Amino acid sequence: MIATETFKPLVLAQAKARKVEPRLIVVKHPIGGLNADELRERIEAATRGLTEATSK
Amino acid sequence: MRIVNPSFGLSATTAEKVALKPVNWATDAIALVSNSKPNARELLAGIRDKLGATRMIDNIDFLSKNSASQPAPADVIEKVAANYRGALLAIAD
Amino acid sequence: MKDISEQEVIDIGDMDVEAFNDFATEQGWGDGMPLFVPTEAKVAKFVETVRGDNRPIPPVPPRQVVPTLQSMAANAVMAGCKPEYFPVVTAALRAVLDPEYNLHGSLATTHSCAPVVMVSGPIRKQLNINCGSNCFGQGWQANATIGRALGLMLLNIAGAKPGEMDRSTQGNPAKFTFCFGENEEENPWTPYHVQRGFAPTDSVVTVMSGEGPHNLNDHGSTTGDGLLTTFAGSMATPGANTVYGKGPMLVIIGPEHAQTLKRDGYSIDSIRQELFKRSRIHISRISKENQDTYTSTGHMPDGDWFTIGRNPDDIHITVAGGPGKHSAFIPSFGGTSVSCVRIAG
Repeated sequence: MIATETFKPLVLAQAKARKVEPRLIVVKHPIGGLNADELRERIEAATRGLTEATSK
Repeated sequence: MRIVNPSFGLSATTAEKVALKPVNWATDAIALVSNSKPNARELLAGIRDKLGATRMIDNIDFLSKNSASQPAPADVIEKVAANYRGALLAIAD
Repeated sequence: MKDISEQEVIDIGDMDVEAFNDFATEQGWGDGMPLFVPTEAKVAKFVETVRGDNRPIPPVPPRQVVPTLQSMAANAVMAGCKPEYFPVVTAALRAVLDPEYNLHGSLATTHSCAPVVMVSGPIRKQLNINCGSNCFGQGWQANATIGRALGLMLLNIAGAKPGEMDRSTQGNPAKFTFCFGENEEENPWTPYHVQRGFAPTDSVVTVMSGEGPHNLNDHGSTTGDGLLTTFAGSMATPGANTVYGKGPMLVIIGPEHAQTLKRDGYSIDSIRQELFKRSRIHISRISKENQDTYTSTGHMPDGDWFTIGRNPDDIHITVAGGPGKHSAFIPSFGGTSVSCVRIAG
């Protein structure tokens, strides 16, 4: 799951309520409102996070 | 003095662990699920493009909720469970 | 020893009200305003008012716990309710638990929505719920504390802690309380709960996850047609969630506006039709990026216009308030419903 750092507490609180442990990739906030150049950094970070999380 | 706890409730969630099948992220079919907020799909599309450098992406598909404000419909969840070994959810703000 | 959160009854030793409020703040139980102490004895008096109402309470999202009558009553006590308000509070909780209401989404969203609580039927008079002048405002214990009790239940039972599970960007003063009564006595049409299929003698709670009231001022129009022009123009707001969330909204007509509309032959249904038609938003008022966002999630314009709901039935209409030339528009969160529950007893 990809979430921004700002929404990490929400994801963790909801996961705790459901007694699940999500595999979380955290990127900088925000996502919405970014133009294509700004979004590129989030894509890089999320892809890096995904590669790390799935190679373990 | 004895008071009643205003946050008291019985948990409706069981602690049973769901058995997950192992996922091979280099080859398996993957669902990219957007929460339908602006840029969620664009973020997932960018990741899909990048994954194209290291794996086949014909079996990486986009799915989404009908509305950002509503839960994912049961048929979307069932489709993910039935057709994909892994899912990547984008929870854009 | 059990953690405090797992204990239904807690022995807090000798504490005065101030010390209790400090303790409650440490536990995260409060809304920032002073709380009454939910002693076992006080809670028991509240629970007594709903004995016989044995319908089960489903798990409350997002926290997914099933509260007890005692823990629900503790919130009503803390809010400053009288025991006789408790059946209304429990009905309000049942109403927000209607799956169509989408409690999880409405609590976790960045939108400012809060539960709007409307009370209909004879219980309004029995509990002295304000339906007239300043009905959305201060001054009435029942209005103030019933809404507040629901807010505290959503904090403490549902787990909607601001900044954590409640992610509202700016919030809304209605998160403290927003409860009013229908002015059935000055409603020239059918009371809302009767529109929804209840008997006039039923007492009913209606809830919607909504914004605060947007005022509809019209002192100048002398016709129903003129009033609807003002109402529709004010409802056509591109920043409302309903433009793309396509959900319900409330139009609460002041009694004087209602009389003018009735005199000119308008019914609830014809008002709904007219408002839906006239409140469409021209695409020139919506940014290109937003248009793309809406259409990419299936919210298509009707020609060059975006509608403010899915159809006229999304506009829910009733009468409340006192003398004066004002009405109110309350847009919803979007992905929610206007849910009604009959009050037991």
